[in-house]
Amino acid sequence: MLMSGGIDSPVSMYYLLRQGHDLLAVHMDNRPFTDDTPLEKIVDHLRVLGERFERKIPLYVLPHGPTQIELMRNTDRHVGCVLCRRFMWRSAERIAEREHATFLATGESLGQVASQTLSNMRSATASVSLPIVRPLVGFDKQEIEAVAKSIGTYGISTRPGLCCQAVPDRPATRSGLVQILQQEERIDVESLIDDCVRRAVVM
Amino acid sequence: MTYSTLRLCSGRAAFEAVPRPKLSLDLGQIRGRLERAGIPVTDARVLLIARMEREVTVARDGRILIKSADAPEAARILARLRSLIDLPA
Repeated sequence: MLMSGGIDSPVSMYYLLRQGHDLLAVHMDNRPFTDDTPLEKIVDHLRVLGERFERKIPLYVLPHGPTQIELMRNTDRHVGCVLCRRFMWRSAERIAEREHATFLATGESLGQVASQTLSNMRSATASVSLPIVRPLVGFDKQEIEAVAKSIGTYGISTRPGLCCQAVPDRPATRSGLVQILQQEERIDVESLIDDCVRRAVVM
Repeated sequence: MTYSTLRLCSGRAAFEAVPRPKLSLDLGQIRGRLERAGIPVTDARVLLIARMEREVTVARDGRILIKSADAPEAARILARLRSLIDLPA
């Protein structure tokens, strides 16, 4: 399960844990384009959810900053969020394969931000083959926040924290896969993912 | 043109200075100046990340983000940055 430190991902994880799924968390560490706060929040989210469901949830932390730098240097900033998401999915899938996980999951809900339009979700997830589960896909923000408050993760998510500095001024809300693949030809995708996954830390 | 305000960013974890109107900075030149002052810089083409007392992001359009939630500290760092890279007043 991809965890960002925001409001949505712990709520999404809550629903999957409630259904009895055995989960592991993956965080794409975006420093230096953020700060330490997302990771600190995720550690606290997992503590709260782990106590509620009486289990320890492993956390993989993967360095995503070097990939972001390559994307910013070599690709069209307009589709930067989609390219970023594709790397997140592929890296998470590598971890899933290593851990024999059978699906990927996120806290995405349709239309909330630029990377979560249907068009961009399709472009981003075309990079992986494992099924993707989005328990919150039809929720609106108020519903998600209400659940977050009820399970004790809202206060953690809303602590001060730095927004992603790699987000372009005007991120694309529509993207075509051909266009995205052309952008990826400008970088060494496999090498970046290999390096990212090799440097994963388990907490 | 001026950097008239240093304001807390929306995440409340950093201060940002936004020029009006936007600038078009020569990031290569700025990187050189910072590195000559002994400040490590990560160059992401459209922005620089300088490791001063706190990390500072300098975007090509002139936006500056200082990773400190302490206003006096952020103001000090901005003043030092401006003295180093000769930003417009």
